[in-house]
Amino acid sequence: MDLANYKKVWKNQPEEKNKISALEIYKMTQSKSNSIVKWIFIIGLLEFVFWFAIYYLGTKNGALEPYEKLKLISFIDNFNYFHYVVVVLFLILFYRNFSLISTVDDTKTLMKNILLVRKTVKWYVYYNLINVVVFSIILNILIFNTPDGINILSGINNESFNQEHMMSVFIIAQIVVITIMILILWLFYYLLYGILLKKLNKNYKELTKLNEIS
Amino acid sequence: MQNQLEIKFLNDFEKNQNIVHKICRIYTTNQDEHNDLFQEITIQVWKNYSKFRGEAKFSTWMYRVALNTAISLFRKSKRRIKTQDFNTVSYKIEYVDYDNTKDLQLNALYKGIRGLNDIEKALMFLYLEDKPYKEIAETLGITEVNARVKMNRTKEKLKKILNP
Repeated sequence: MDLANYKKVWKNQPEEKNKISALEIYKMTQSKSNSIVKWIFIIGLLEFVFWFAIYYLGTKNGALEPYEKLKLISFIDNFNYFHYVVVVLFLILFYRNFSLISTVDDTKTLMKNILLVRKTVKWYVYYNLINVVVFSIILNILIFNTPDGINILSGINNESFNQEHMMSVFIIAQIVVITIMILILWLFYYLLYGILLKKLNKNYKELTKLNEIS
Repeated sequence: MQNQLEIKFLNDFEKNQNIVHKICRIYTTNQDEHNDLFQEITIQVWKNYSKFRGEAKFSTWMYRVALNTAISLFRKSKRRIKTQDFNTVSYKIEYVDYDNTKDLQLNALYKGIRGLNDIEKALMFLYLEDKPYKEIAETLGITEVNARVKMNRTKEKLKKILNP
């Protein structure tokens, strides 16, 4: 049987037996959506809060006391102001891209806009990671350029302590911590968004691939 | 005002719900998923209903929102994975004036379409619903030429599934 005949069968198919009543439809409109878009929005917001909290807690809680002794506070303050401006810009971008999502759009545009929101959050995460690394590098340079920098920072006041040895331990420890942190985060995002957007990514590829066939 | 809009929506949606049921049958494999998708489509159509200006037919507009929901927005919930799959759609369909051969053919068709990927399903659905290529292309956001090329390939694929 060819498709034209199947089309006739399709057209003659009976109506759904379990018709949904207007009252049931009304109840459905009052229930909560469980769409991918909603989850991307919630996860995105949580990420903003998470990274901001990490940054905020890192600069509060007396963690900065040793830096005061090293007279690095104005550098850290300026870095903070810059960071806050960038976070606000990211938030604006996040909301703008989110508001672009419309189910009334064509399928391809809709998928593109959903992925754009995800990308905004991805850039925000990258920015935070780069921020941590750059901040650490600059801070290290400043500390090592200050006489007795490491001793002040570590609270060790022993002249006989091997400065060079201390320095390499200090640097290696930082590199290990940052690498582990990035690995954990990468795994976390890979799993989180990988699961959530697997279907969407596949379908988007399928549609964009179409441009190549003609 | 809101109330009037709601009444109009309920009326429009109830009348056209068969379109949504057909999409649910294509994109889901059991009754629970069918109900979940139906509910999500209802929510999405209602959320966007105020944007529907009546320049197109309601059903035409609904095709787009419903397909978009099925393809891009819908998340199958894990909690119901154990539910029995339906291999047939027949148990939900009334048998009045309906002979068994046609029923089997319809089942085979649904089963075949379920073997396609999400985009191919949308194409095949719009083809079976007799939509012109222009509308199919606009719904999916591709060019008409691409829609035709992809449609031919999808038809070939479905033919192979139906007549192995």
